[in-house]
Amino acid sequence: MAAGRVAEKRRRKRVFGVIAHIVLIAASIAMLYPLLWMLSASFRPQDEIFSSSSIIPSHLTVDAYVRGWQGLQVSFATFFTNSFIIAGLSVIGNLMACSITAFAFARLEFRGKRVWFALMLGTLMLPYQVTLIPQYVMFLHIGWVNTFLPLVVPKFLATDSFFIFLMVQFFRGIPRQLDEAAMIDGCSTWQIYTRIMLPLSTPVLVTAAIFTFIFTWDDFFGPLIYLNDMSRYTVTLALRSFVDSTAQSDYGGLFAMSILSLVPIFLFFLFFQRLLIEGIATTGMKR
Amino acid sequence: MGSNRRQFLLGSAAVIGAAATGLRPAFADQMNMRQIFWGSQERANRTYKTNDLFQQKNANDKIASEFYAWNDYWPKLATETAGGNAPDIIQMDYRYIVEYADRQAIAPLDAFVGKELDLSDFDQDQIDGGKVNGKLYGISLGANSVASIVNTAAFKEAGVPVPDNNSTYDDLKTACEAFKKANIRGGMKAFQDGSGVEPLLENWLRQKGKALYTADGKLGFNADDATAWFQLWDDLRQADLIVTPDDQALDTGPLANTMVVLGKAAVTFANSNQLVAFQALMKDPVTIVSFPRIAKGSKGGHYRKPSMFWSIAGASKMQSEAAKYLSFFIDDIDANKILGVERGIPAAKHVRDAIAPTLNKQDQIALNFVSNLGDLLGPIPPPPPSNAGEIDIDLMLKTSQQVAFGQMSPKDAGPYLVQQATDILARKG
Amino acid sequence: MTVRPIGATAGDVPLGRTVAISRWASFWRRNGTGYAFLTPWMLGFFLLTIGPALVSLYLSFTDFNLLQAPTWIGDANYVRIFTNDPKFLQAVRVTFFYAVVSVPLKLAFALAVAMALNRGLRGLPLYRAVFYLPSLLGSSVAIAVLWRQLFAGNGLMNHILALFGITGPSWISNPRYALWTLIILSVWQFGSPMIIFLAGLRQIPRDLYEAAAIDGASRARQFWSITLPLLTPVVFFNAIVQAIDAFKSFTPAFIISSGTGNPINSTLFYTLYLYQEAFGYFRMGNASALAWILLVIIAVFTGISFLTSRYWVHYDD
Repeated sequence: MAAGRVAEKRRRKRVFGVIAHIVLIAASIAMLYPLLWMLSASFRPQDEIFSSSSIIPSHLTVDAYVRGWQGLQVSFATFFTNSFIIAGLSVIGNLMACSITAFAFARLEFRGKRVWFALMLGTLMLPYQVTLIPQYVMFLHIGWVNTFLPLVVPKFLATDSFFIFLMVQFFRGIPRQLDEAAMIDGCSTWQIYTRIMLPLSTPVLVTAAIFTFIFTWDDFFGPLIYLNDMSRYTVTLALRSFVDSTAQSDYGGLFAMSILSLVPIFLFFLFFQRLLIEGIATTGMKR
Repeated sequence: MGSNRRQFLLGSAAVIGAAATGLRPAFADQMNMRQIFWGSQERANRTYKTNDLFQQKNANDKIASEFYAWNDYWPKLATETAGGNAPDIIQMDYRYIVEYADRQAIAPLDAFVGKELDLSDFDQDQIDGGKVNGKLYGISLGANSVASIVNTAAFKEAGVPVPDNNSTYDDLKTACEAFKKANIRGGMKAFQDGSGVEPLLENWLRQKGKALYTADGKLGFNADDATAWFQLWDDLRQADLIVTPDDQALDTGPLANTMVVLGKAAVTFANSNQLVAFQALMKDPVTIVSFPRIAKGSKGGHYRKPSMFWSIAGASKMQSEAAKYLSFFIDDIDANKILGVERGIPAAKHVRDAIAPTLNKQDQIALNFVSNLGDLLGPIPPPPPSNAGEIDIDLMLKTSQQVAFGQMSPKDAGPYLVQQATDILARKG
Repeated sequence: MTVRPIGATAGDVPLGRTVAISRWASFWRRNGTGYAFLTPWMLGFFLLTIGPALVSLYLSFTDFNLLQAPTWIGDANYVRIFTNDPKFLQAVRVTFFYAVVSVPLKLAFALAVAMALNRGLRGLPLYRAVFYLPSLLGSSVAIAVLWRQLFAGNGLMNHILALFGITGPSWISNPRYALWTLIILSVWQFGSPMIIFLAGLRQIPRDLYEAAAIDGASRARQFWSITLPLLTPVVFFNAIVQAIDAFKSFTPAFIISSGTGNPINSTLFYTLYLYQEAFGYFRMGNASALAWILLVIIAVFTGISFLTSRYWVHYDD
């Protein structure tokens, strides 16, 4: 009798599993439909793009990709390179600066710490319009406009409070006993940071790296304001040149290059996502 | 931390610092100018070719050029100007020229006329179009005029005669009724809803002897005019003769969202120099005709305005070189063969004559249209007051939408428009 | 063994020895390490954040058209915003509505999908990536075009509705529904909070569920009594972050309405209004005032959230 009930339960579980899969697949298609549409539009001839909302194109052509890649007078190879450089440097800057700052807040004692911490959290709420023009003027005076510096250097100065906050949560989860043991062994504070904290923080560092990469890759306003030469544009900024409201636009090229632009960040995410989950799970969110 | 490491760090800091400040060109003679303009890649290609030509003929001059989509252009230019970093050569629009001129963000060009800048056979109305308070601030890069973009194939299919330069608003109504009866292409209407199109309102007012703005920067029309305007379109709308409010609201500005491109209407109100761009987006052939007359024989609604200008930055250190470039741009035949009429019809007569034979059919249509407006042509109005832009792109459109969606009656919309517009004009920065 | 914070030196001074340590040196000895580690952040904070922020605060009391130097006008901007600015009220209304509707919806989807994925299904990494993909698109120009395709009069949405015999309006260009298309866009990108929920779910010990099952608790009961309470810290984090994001949301409205906030200002997000004032009409002083008002609104909201959180968020310690 009991065996029958167990078998019944197992069957129900399997059925449920199949149903769950079906629902998930259907949901996935619904989620992805807009993207699939864009993917198919990028393989269509220019004048067919808007004429139907079905996914399957009647003719397939890579014309949009070729045109889009070469479309602006600087090829997309340059734009991708620029995006990689900026995103890459931003990741390094954020990791270094935010972890040092988080270490200070999480582990060190000093007068005024609470106040600084509150201020740091406060900057999370600042809309960027508040600081935009004064920052621009400042960067202009030191001659950094039209370089990558205004986009990258702030990361080395820990301006991304979101990550500081995230790392503080994580560091607090690492037992203090390890620090003390190291101190007894004669480690300096710096060594505790480099030899204990950082190695144990790989998950959250990876998390910060992924999010930083994605955010900087998608950012267009910073590059718009600070970059003048087209040869320095990032991918996201270049994409905007495809659509000008006063003259004709190249929608096929836009879609093709948008799809291409998704590829690096998607791959980045796919590759590191396992570490990402672990990273967030151990930030002591439950605290 | 040994001294070696310290030295290394200091050394690298120095290198980075040097790299950051950028390398200055070694050539003492070279005049490096910067240029900024809005447009598409098509315009950019033509501009760069022209720049190359200029640099060939003027070995000491180099031009570094940037271009942006219209929406991004103005924040970028404003930010750069705020920082004191505006490029030397600036593409300027009729809507902003007064603001920039008033704040000395662009430089007066009168000193260069006759010297670096040769405007001898330039159309006078194009010169006047670039003047603010009597001083010249921008050189017209081409004339254009408002125009209706007409889908001739759709008219043929509906069996309705294509509008021409003599068509009136009554003809508009007739065409709409005929289109409604013909019911082609899923209910395509003859005309878009023009109640929110400020240039159309201006054209209508001018034919009545009024204007959008007076010379001293006040409104040139009153609440009754505005009410009559909204009533005109509301009657058409209630009879379901023009594009529905839902569809019309799809037009958020970009050409690809206009009613004629979306296939909702056979006629859209735009500018003559956009004919080529419209055609590129559509399978059906399109042509341009004038805006409707308010009655047979009514004249003076149109004017030839500069489509855009080159201006020189007020803080530019190379104004005289920039003026040379401006002159080259509007005068040189080879350059203009490259530029064509992409920015508008060249204002210098000898240039027009020289390039006319090289234009393709569509460009010819645009050229003919602007040159042969006949009695439709009236005097150019004074440049709009600052803040007028807000009335154009914001207030007009929103008021018309409120009427269209039934949130306000035309009777109320008239006084509302006038009062809001007056407030906007009165607002200081 | 007591835990001694790093850097404290009080116990290091040998007894019986009088040393003239200047106040400054003692401060430095005590707090030096902390501040040393904090240096990059302090540089960033003072140069890049607080400096420009204070300048913008100053600007909010001026008339600054970007092309000329600012002129002081006192609180005129603020007065006008609070007494004579229907667009401000509209912007606040739109933004609040957007936040209040999209955030719970987004979190609900995120939680539901996270729970579905948490059952240890095969292909979990793939599904996870698929559901996260829309968020990667961010707010590119392509999204605007896509969304119009979907929600215009003859777009896909209406085709689907037609299958059920419903004729839909042109969602994206109708003032009653346009904002909803933006809400849907936001909810579509629920990938980030979903991932965070997944992590939170992972941390709930399985034996709690098993114990409950043995005691005869139904699935639903387990959800309400185990899952939800233990998940509240994650819910709180996600809610705060998403809400702040919603208040500051700009790009979706900007690209879909081409910067106009239309139809009839129904998509006029607060930061879009701010952007129009700053770069559309050259009223940077007014825009700065608007920015600071937004900051205060967000700060008040966050403060209230933290204060009321003690009533519903369960922490482990």
